[in-house]
Amino acid sequence: MLTNREVYKIWAPAGAKWVDWVRPVPFVEIKDYSKSYKFSNLSIPKLIYLSELPENTAIFLDLPGYDAIKEGLALARFGMRPIPIYNGTNEQVGSRATVDNHAVEFGLWWGAKELQKMQIKEDALPVFLLDSNRVDRYKMSVTVFDNSWDIYPQDVPSAEYFLNNGINKIILRTKDEANVDLKKILYKYQEAGIKIYYTDGYIEPVEADVLKIKTLKRAPHKDE
Amino acid sequence: MRLLTIPKDKYDEYRLNLIFDCYKWDPQFQDNNTVAKHVLVITKEEHEELKKLTEAIDKETIDAEKYLNENQKYAKPLNLPKEITKELKLMKNYDAEKHVRLMRYDFHPTIDGWNISEVNSDVPGGFAEASLMPQVAKYLFKDEALWHINFGDILTGAIAKKVRPGGRIMLVHCTSYSDDRQVMEYLGDKLETMGFKVIYGAAEHVLFKEQKAYCILYGNEGPLDGIFRFTPLEWLKDIKPKYWDGYFDTITPSCNHPVAIFAQTKRFPLVWDRLELEGLTLTNWKRLLPKTVEVKDAKGQKGFIYKPACGRVGEKISIKEACDEKEYEDILREVKKKPKEYLAQKKFISKPLTSEEGEQFHVCLGSYTVDGKHAGYYARISDKPRIDSRAADIPVLIEGSEE
Repeated sequence: MLTNREVYKIWAPAGAKWVDWVRPVPFVEIKDYSKSYKFSNLSIPKLIYLSELPENTAIFLDLPGYDAIKEGLALARFGMRPIPIYNGTNEQVGSRATVDNHAVEFGLWWGAKELQKMQIKEDALPVFLLDSNRVDRYKMSVTVFDNSWDIYPQDVPSAEYFLNNGINKIILRTKDEANVDLKKILYKYQEAGIKIYYTDGYIEPVEADVLKIKTLKRAPHKDE
Repeated sequence: MRLLTIPKDKYDEYRLNLIFDCYKWDPQFQDNNTVAKHVLVITKEEHEELKKLTEAIDKETIDAEKYLNENQKYAKPLNLPKEITKELKLMKNYDAEKHVRLMRYDFHPTIDGWNISEVNSDVPGGFAEASLMPQVAKYLFKDEALWHINFGDILTGAIAKKVRPGGRIMLVHCTSYSDDRQVMEYLGDKLETMGFKVIYGAAEHVLFKEQKAYCILYGNEGPLDGIFRFTPLEWLKDIKPKYWDGYFDTITPSCNHPVAIFAQTKRFPLVWDRLELEGLTLTNWKRLLPKTVEVKDAKGQKGFIYKPACGRVGEKISIKEACDEKEYEDILREVKKKPKEYLAQKKFISKPLTSEEGEQFHVCLGSYTVDGKHAGYYARISDKPRIDSRAADIPVLIEGSEE
């Protein structure tokens, strides 16, 4: 049985490029409960929106639950490096939570076993993995534990870093509409001269204006 | 004071140990590694001096906040947010003996000796970094006689003195932020080993009846025996939980009680002259904190920087060489628009330390107190003179053998 530390080391092997951005939070939080997650449907999907390894490109997968882990592994088969940047914590024991972060912890634990079988080059292009459910912070009652979370500019490489490391194109892959927190980050990249592409998982990525990627309706957040 | 370099072949394992054994869940901030490749060593004499200064300044702070609480008319120049000012009168029943008072004073080595940049009076952080990080680092330098203070032992010891054995303690924090949770989880795990029942929750999960705290978090309902608050008071006013006024007059042991707000605002020095007229002593504060005045009083004078009254982790401080051009201009614009939400402070010249490899680092050495006694260190280093979120956490070891 892999330990939490071993799972992390598989996703963030020492010396590989981009792995400094792998967020430790879900790896530290993997509990026995996460490993026995009951609602799992895990298999590596076939990609239909990419036919070959893109050049000078980073991909952001913003998909519900552990779906980005599955698709990240499909891109790993293409030769890209999946970089989990999940940052949600587990709820207080016994409480009801806004987000099911155990699903991601289970996915990372399962995915480590798959990733272990693959050979990825140390300088492979990065695929950043996100849970689009992270911003689900609607609460029926004040007694619910809010473990929703946002992605911030400090959680990802700067535009300058991307450009200095040969990345001038970013593909955003979402299922529905883009989350506001990620749009804010992509907008900054766009301002710095990085081209943003968009795909819903079916169409080939098309160049997009970040402001025109539809906004998800969500509850106000104190940082906004 | 000196920097020891962590051997290259041991650094990756050290960083992993911090992540998995020391609650360091945020080892990267944008393009910056926040785990220093060095260890900060202070001499026995430096430690003794810092301990003495910290306790002296802490006594002044505690006396001042007690006086301000009892004579709230003198707190006006602090320009506290009106939502907080409205509740201050509730704190009249504050009894320091019932609560745990935790603070961290940020010391900087400068060309003129030690200077303080601020006191983190309300919700100081860095607990695991001040407790477990030096423990791990010490094993890398076994040949040297070095020791460290375990801040966590001191803090939890103080909590255990005020909260009934086996009591239920709510760790109040912003539950959406993993960087808050990592601090809470270190404290929570430690309290649980001492037999306390720990509940992780948000400010809105506490309800107050007859000045006593109750937990309303689903599945964890019931009376609370202690509150450890990590949500800053000025955020609490923005979140506006329904029962937030209860924090101000609760008799449930708290750390920190909202009385911390008087010294938390960076405008605290603006009431010192008045307090001295009332017979209070602030000599050590005045010696260690650079001259601080209203924004308007610094107009046309050289060598001042602007700081926000409610600033955190070095944000929005107008140190020109540490800001990019846009950030600097934005700060100046905001100072002009809201001068009462800022203060002007004489800039000190930080004296950097040089590593064995010849790199220079500026140091911020946070020195904790718990209930008036020195309780350990939390340090950060940066290649820039402003210590902000990009700075790296560095463990502090003391030369010699344990006290």
